[in-house]
Amino acid sequence: MDRVEEKTKSGLTSTFEISKEMSEKIFVIPPKRTRYLSEIAENNRAYDDKARSQVEVAQRLYGIYKTIETVAGIKTEFGNDQQKYLSKNGIDQDEIYEIAEDSQADFLKLLFAEFDKTKMDLDPYNWEVILGWNEKVTKYREPVYSFKVRDKEIKIDTHTESLSHTQIPKVALPKYKAWGDILGWCLQENVPGEFPYTAGLYPFKRTGEDPTRMFAGEGGPERTNRRFHYVSKGLPAKRLSTAFDSVTLYGNDPDHRPDIYGKIGNSGVSICCLDDAKKLYSGFDLADAMTSVSMTINGPAPMLLGFFMNAAIDQNCEKYIRENGLEDEVEAKLKELYDNNDIARPVYRGELPEGNDGLGLMLLGLTGDQVLPKDVYEKIKAETINVVRGTVQADILKEDQAQNTCIFSTEFALRLMGDVQEYFIEEKVRNFYSVSISGYHIAEAGANPITQLAFTLANGFTYVEYYLSRGMDINKFGPNLSFFFSNGVDPEYAVIGRVARRIWSKALKNKYGANSRAQMLKYHIQTSGRSLHAQEIDFNDIRTTLQALYAIYDNCNSLHTNAYDEAITTPTEASVRRAMAIQLIINKELGLAKNENPIQGSFIIEELTDLVEEAVLTEFDRITERGGVLGAMETMYQRGKIQEESLYYETLKHNGDYPIIGVNTFLSSTGSPTVTPGEVIRATEEEKEHQITTLETLHKAKESKAEASLEKIKKAAVNNANLFEELMEATKVCSLGQITHALFEVGGQYRRNM
Amino acid sequence: MEQQSPYKPKNKIRIVTAASLFDGHDAAINIMRRIIQATGVEVIHLGHDRSVEEVVNCAIQEDAQAIAMTSYQGGHTEYFKYMYDLLNEKGAGHIKIFGGGGGVILPEEIKELMDYGIDRIYSPDDGREMGLQGMINDMIKRVDNEVPCLKESDKVKENLKNKNVNTISRLISLAENRHEEFNKYFDKDAIDTGDTPVLGITGTGGSGKSSLVDELVRRFLMDFPDKHIGIVSVDPSKKKTGGALLGDRIRMNSINHERVYMRSLATRQANLALSKYVAEAVDVLKAANYDLIILETSGIGQSDTEILDHSDVSLYVMTPEFGAATQLEKIDMLDFADLVAINKFDKRGAQDALRDVKKQYQRNHQLWHADAETLPVFGTIASQFNDP
Repeated sequence: MDRVEEKTKSGLTSTFEISKEMSEKIFVIPPKRTRYLSEIAENNRAYDDKARSQVEVAQRLYGIYKTIETVAGIKTEFGNDQQKYLSKNGIDQDEIYEIAEDSQADFLKLLFAEFDKTKMDLDPYNWEVILGWNEKVTKYREPVYSFKVRDKEIKIDTHTESLSHTQIPKVALPKYKAWGDILGWCLQENVPGEFPYTAGLYPFKRTGEDPTRMFAGEGGPERTNRRFHYVSKGLPAKRLSTAFDSVTLYGNDPDHRPDIYGKIGNSGVSICCLDDAKKLYSGFDLADAMTSVSMTINGPAPMLLGFFMNAAIDQNCEKYIRENGLEDEVEAKLKELYDNNDIARPVYRGELPEGNDGLGLMLLGLTGDQVLPKDVYEKIKAETINVVRGTVQADILKEDQAQNTCIFSTEFALRLMGDVQEYFIEEKVRNFYSVSISGYHIAEAGANPITQLAFTLANGFTYVEYYLSRGMDINKFGPNLSFFFSNGVDPEYAVIGRVARRIWSKALKNKYGANSRAQMLKYHIQTSGRSLHAQEIDFNDIRTTLQALYAIYDNCNSLHTNAYDEAITTPTEASVRRAMAIQLIINKELGLAKNENPIQGSFIIEELTDLVEEAVLTEFDRITERGGVLGAMETMYQRGKIQEESLYYETLKHNGDYPIIGVNTFLSSTGSPTVTPGEVIRATEEEKEHQITTLETLHKAKESKAEASLEKIKKAAVNNANLFEELMEATKVCSLGQITHALFEVGGQYRRNM
Repeated sequence: MEQQSPYKPKNKIRIVTAASLFDGHDAAINIMRRIIQATGVEVIHLGHDRSVEEVVNCAIQEDAQAIAMTSYQGGHTEYFKYMYDLLNEKGAGHIKIFGGGGGVILPEEIKELMDYGIDRIYSPDDGREMGLQGMINDMIKRVDNEVPCLKESDKVKENLKNKNVNTISRLISLAENRHEEFNKYFDKDAIDTGDTPVLGITGTGGSGKSSLVDELVRRFLMDFPDKHIGIVSVDPSKKKTGGALLGDRIRMNSINHERVYMRSLATRQANLALSKYVAEAVDVLKAANYDLIILETSGIGQSDTEILDHSDVSLYVMTPEFGAATQLEKIDMLDFADLVAINKFDKRGAQDALRDVKKQYQRNHQLWHADAETLPVFGTIASQFNDP
């Protein structure tokens, strides 16, 4: 600027201080860690190489041992305990000498020496695996299996009985005899609940809680609340999944401006403040262990998380108020703040639906800290956030790669994610996932299953590296990470969970030294939306069923089945019910699904798992060549690859090489025309107006507090303090749009790419 | 379906493309804008998540013939109607609106919108019948008109003084397309073009000039709360089709501001980094009394220095990836630039690049005794918010 002034005397003298400081990259991933993905690939390949060589050693040992048995004249009958002569140290030689004829002693001595020499090459841990095998098999054969989850002992029946009175084992084990086979299986497959968790994270599936999520989001919070109660009626576990409208997704407030107005409450629920969140989840006890809430939100995720947490805290405050008979104080406060200032009190509009007991609505317009003493409030707050269960998507990397709902600059968005995670660690938020690292949108944008998995895991490891660089403990944040994949009909989808769990645990255990809880990759599956077609829409349920079957056989932790009419419209209550029935029929009726590891031991499943695993590691190397995930994003590598794969699919679909029944082949006599929706569900004028009223009420009632709060946020941002702490406060008094705009000023807006 | 050949427009056409507000679905508009470009049109692409106001302001500043939008996220009826209303309100009812949104926009809504005045919303059925190129041809035929003249009644001088965007825009279009008409309304001798400083920004393609301009504008607006800024940004025309992608706006967040005017120009000539009419465009902005004018060229090679003819102060933007240090000896701009920015300073070897460029600058300017610290060569990371 000074140079412009100097040359032209134009009177543009800058008031800015010129700093001598040079531009310096603020590193998300420290420079010495930029090869992280290749290091992970190397680490996992090294594990596989070691496993292969150990299998070879074990197999030799088994051969020698079998020879010893033969020479010594030991007869192993079927089912006999062959480990009688084995111990931690190897073979019990004395006992064998005793049984054997003396003439064999020299030969046996040679064999023992060879055995001991070979055993030197076997990892002692692996010898234990071999020794422990029979015991493991027995445990699963006995009627009851007990194991520990977070210090709680859980007892589970190991079998179910069919109508024919057959005992169906929940976990079936291989009938291998040879040590190499047993060891190889344990190192790469293993039973569910044991490293590398290929078959699943826990020894047995939860009983009483199917991995079903109830998805809703339409109009205002009241309508969505009614839908939530409708879909979860009679189910013990309330697993709610929330879709937000695009105004909310982009961090804005509802407004009369037509380009905003038209989008309020469409294809998702409009939530712009704490009261909206309270109404949305009213009647569900958010602190209950059987309630779990997931929120599909990314850019403004920290704010929505703040709304949610405060809604849960205020629910518990409400319980406390009722227990202690403090209702009058609430009434007095409402009078003071609303009636006396001529502001209408915020209300839940319309009738409460069946099942909604009104929990969460008492404190509409207020927060617990305005009524309760500070110490009581703080205690309730701490207790509440320790127990709330749920997931917030908050995955900003995939937004830039595939989905485009970025609002802040990527660096700033990452910082916000880190702040949330840091807060979770400090405040012991243990049952909430701070991020759902999502491949779904990458797949929906056209990526094939391998690319979906590779990009998503790579994004996951990027968060790990970033959080580590901020000094967080992997064992503390590891369990707060979760994943989200799409299941289509491609063959690779049969093993997507197996490969993901395996790669993650191998890396977390050996590369990052994490404990077992952090090694476990938990994931949610949604059946593929892209595989639903607008022609012959009745066929869509068949596709969804097959995809759900893949997912359940693969032991997903959570599952959403799409409604068949989603290709053309927002699903109706009837179509959503049918989609739920798909899951319930598989879980409750399908006999084979009573077994929890039905695909283990299949040659093709094992082969596919290996192929996909290697393909993912190869992709890791490609991303490293481009400077890691963030480096590759700069040159839009991920976007380019996704587009390319999308085009490939479209081309094959178009020319018929990729058959799709009722779409490009097997057409009906009328040519299977595109179905247009009879009626489209859209938010009503009334709902939109209500949302704007709620917002205006908030702005009127909390104006002065909001401003102070926004100033605090900006200050925290500049001072590199934890922003989420401030957001927890700001979300009590500010609207979503207010916070977003305050953050734009200090964090930078997202810059679009071509 | 038989392959449709592209329509050949008779006039130079400019179209603004974007995806609707709060709408990340940019796959379709990206395909469309490529076809539009290949059909010989100059496309000003805004990308996804654009409000009506942003699109309308852009279309007026750019004096585009049409806007082509996609909307997949609902709320399209309100969006398109508001766009129509706002264009009329701002005296730009002549700009035509085209749209599409797959199956999301229902047939009865298409009818409602077209009855309201939207020129055409293309449905999936239209796509099947006409093909992609067919739809684009249809749209371009509908807007293939000559740039209209200013009306006699328009008080050009006064409008310029008031920074009337419509007048500024049209004058620049006339300069580009109907030069004799331009001369009629804009007599250089009779109109005071003042002495607004012009900052010329040039550099290699992909060096991040647009992001840098965006950061400069953002800071200018903060620093000078009452000053106005004008931007002229040039991108190359394709020799083969005559089309152009004027993509500088997509990277910019700070230009949708009442104190900013931006105009994108296509070079309309081969092998040059500037449009022939850049001088006129700058003069028009000067006459409109902007306080600072930024002139950004398209990406240049080692020997281009045209920018110097049009600017008071020149800034050369490069990246650390220029090859060996000897390559620097060939770069003419290092002889002439007042300021050098090494952008993407987060790239490998940036510190070495800075040292090499400084040395070269020292040699070129015979500043043997100057302290390297004081040389006007800076490392920048325009993509990093609040970078020093």
